[in-house]
Amino acid sequence: MSTVTQEVPAPPGRAPQISKAPHVRAGRRAQPARTLHGAAGVAAVVLIGVYCLAPFYWMLVSSLRRSGDIFDTTLLPSVFSVESYVKVFSGSSDFAHALVNSLIVAATTTALALVFAIFAAYAISRLNFRFKNVILAVIIATSMFPGISVVVPLLRLFSDIGWINTYQAMIVPSLSFAIPLAVYILTTFMKQLPFDLEEAAMMDGATKWQAFRKILLPLAAPGIFTTAILTFIQSWNEFIIALSMVNDPAVQTATVAISKFTGASEFQAPYGEQMAAGVIVTIPLVIMILIFQRRIVEGLTSGATK
Amino acid sequence: MSTDLTTGSGADRAATGAPGRDPEGPDARRAARREGWSRRLPLLPALIFTILVTQIPFAMTIWYSLRSWNLLRPDGETFVWFRNFVDIFMDSTFRGAALNSIIITLGCVFAALILGTLFAILLDREFLGRGVVRTLLITPFLIMPAATSMLWSVSLLNPSFGLLNWVIGLFGAGPIDFTSQMPLFSVIMALVWQWTPFMMLLILAGLQAQPKDVLEAAALDGAGWGKTFLFVTLPQLRRYIELSVLLGAIYVVNTFDQIYLMTAGGPGTASANLPFYIYQRAFLGFDVGQAAAMGVVTVIATIIIATFALRLIFRSFDTKD
Repeated sequence: MSTVTQEVPAPPGRAPQISKAPHVRAGRRAQPARTLHGAAGVAAVVLIGVYCLAPFYWMLVSSLRRSGDIFDTTLLPSVFSVESYVKVFSGSSDFAHALVNSLIVAATTTALALVFAIFAAYAISRLNFRFKNVILAVIIATSMFPGISVVVPLLRLFSDIGWINTYQAMIVPSLSFAIPLAVYILTTFMKQLPFDLEEAAMMDGATKWQAFRKILLPLAAPGIFTTAILTFIQSWNEFIIALSMVNDPAVQTATVAISKFTGASEFQAPYGEQMAAGVIVTIPLVIMILIFQRRIVEGLTSGATK
Repeated sequence: MSTDLTTGSGADRAATGAPGRDPEGPDARRAARREGWSRRLPLLPALIFTILVTQIPFAMTIWYSLRSWNLLRPDGETFVWFRNFVDIFMDSTFRGAALNSIIITLGCVFAALILGTLFAILLDREFLGRGVVRTLLITPFLIMPAATSMLWSVSLLNPSFGLLNWVIGLFGAGPIDFTSQMPLFSVIMALVWQWTPFMMLLILAGLQAQPKDVLEAAALDGAGWGKTFLFVTLPQLRRYIELSVLLGAIYVVNTFDQIYLMTAGGPGTASANLPFYIYQRAFLGFDVGQAAAMGVVTVIATIIIATFALRLIFRSFDTKD
C-alpha cells in the first residue's frame, strides 16, 4: 500500500484524514478503474438489478392482486389487496403452522451442524495427521450424495422406528447434508486465517483448547456466521426429505405446504396464495441478510484479505 | 498430505515440545500415535454422523438394488442379482433422464458462472449503496426453490399472462408455452436465475480478496484493464471459480424441486432428470428395487465426477499454503 501517486481525488469528508494516516485507506480508494462512473456503469447495475429482482417483484405484485386480477400484466396491481395473504393464513392452508415447523427444523439443523462442523474444520485446518485428506474427502463426498438415493431406505428405517411425521425425521437427514457443506466452508475459511496469533498464545503457555477458544473462534466468527446462514437457508429450503418423510399437515414444513396449496375449486389454480406464501418465506431471509450484510461480506472476504 | 508441514507443524511442535514426526524409539512412536488420535478426535463426531446417516442408507440402497421388490406385485422380495441394473439400462427413459441430468447441470453451471462473473466484475466498484444493491441481488438464491418454481412456471412462463411472454410479445414473437414446448430450457432458465447470484457472490469475494498491491503493480507496469484481468485477476480467481463450479454442480445435479413443481418431468418424461425419475419409480411406480438401482448408478456417476472435483479442491488447498 505505498502508492500515494495513484490517489484519486478524495471525497471531501475524507480529506482531513489523509494527513493523519496517508496509507490506511489508500489501497481501496486508489484505483481509478474500480470506481463506477458514467451512465454506462449505472445502466449495468440497473440491468443486473432487473435480471435478479424483476421475477421477485412480479411475485410480490402478483401476491397483492385480487384473485380476479391474477392474470393481469400491469406493473402495479389495479387494486391492492391482501386477499391472498388472508387466504394463506386461514382455512385449510394453515401456513403459519408450516412456518413454525420450518423454523424448528432449520434452526435445529443449523445449530447442530455448526457444533459438529466447527470442531471438524478446526482439526482439518490446524492439525496434522495421517489420512487427513481422505477424511476430508469422505466428508465432502457425502454431501454430493443425491438426497433421493437415501430417501427410500430412510423412509423404511424411519417407519420401522416410528419416526414418520416427526421433526427428527427431517432434521437427521438434513444434518447429513448440512454438516459436509459447513465443514467445507469453515475449513476453507479457517485455512486462510493467520496462524501467528494462536502460535503466539501457545508460546505464552496457552493450551491448544485455549488457543482455539480464545483466539481462533473469535477470529473465525464471521466465517461461522456465513456458514450458519448458508446452512440455515439450505435446510429452510429443503424439499424432498420433508415431502417424503411427512404426510401429516401438522408437522409439514413451509416448502411442502406451498406445493400443496389447493384452489377454491379444482379448476382454479391458487396462484395468488402461492405467490403470497413465496413472499412470506423470502422476506424474513432478505431482512436477515440486509441486517447482517456487512458481516456476511466480511465473512466471505476477510479470510483472504486478513 | 502428511508431509504438508506448513503452519500446523510449527504449532504442534510448540505445543508438544517434540518434533512428533521423527520418533526416536517405540515409546516416542506410541506417544506420537496417541497424539495423532487426539488430533483426529475433533473430527470424529462429524465423520461418524455423516457416515451413519448417508453411508448406511446407501448400503441399504445397494442391498435393495439387488432385490426384486415391487410394492404392486404380491410375490414379495426376491434376490435377483443384477437384473434391476440390466432393466434400467434397457429403459430408454432412464437413459433420457441421465442425459437430461447432464444437460441441466452443465447448462446451468456454465451459464450461471459466466453471468455471475460478469455481474461480480460490474459490482466490484465503489458506488453509493453498493452493499444494499449487492445484498438485494442475492435474493434469487435465497428464495425457496419451491417458491421460485411456482414463480417461474406461473408468473413468468405462463403462455397467456407470463412476464416473459409479455416481453417477447413486445418484439413481435408469439406467445410460447415454455414449460410444455421447451421444458428443459425452462428448468435451466429458472436454475440459472437462481444460481447466478451464488456464483456472483463467490467470484466477488475472490475479486475483493486480491492483494491490491499486485493490481497496482500491474497498473504501474502499464497493463490495461483487459490484460490485468486476464493475467493477474483470473489466475487468482481460479480457486473461487473452482469452488463455485463444484458447489454449484453438486446442488444442481440433485435438482428435484424445480422439476417436480415446474414440469413434473413432462411432457411425458421429456424433462425428467435422475432424481425425479428415481422418485417417480419409488413413490409412483412403487418399484423400490429399480429405484434403488438407479440411485446406485447416480451415486457412482457422482463419485466419478466428484473425484475430479476433489482433486481440484485439494490442489487449490495445497498451492494456497
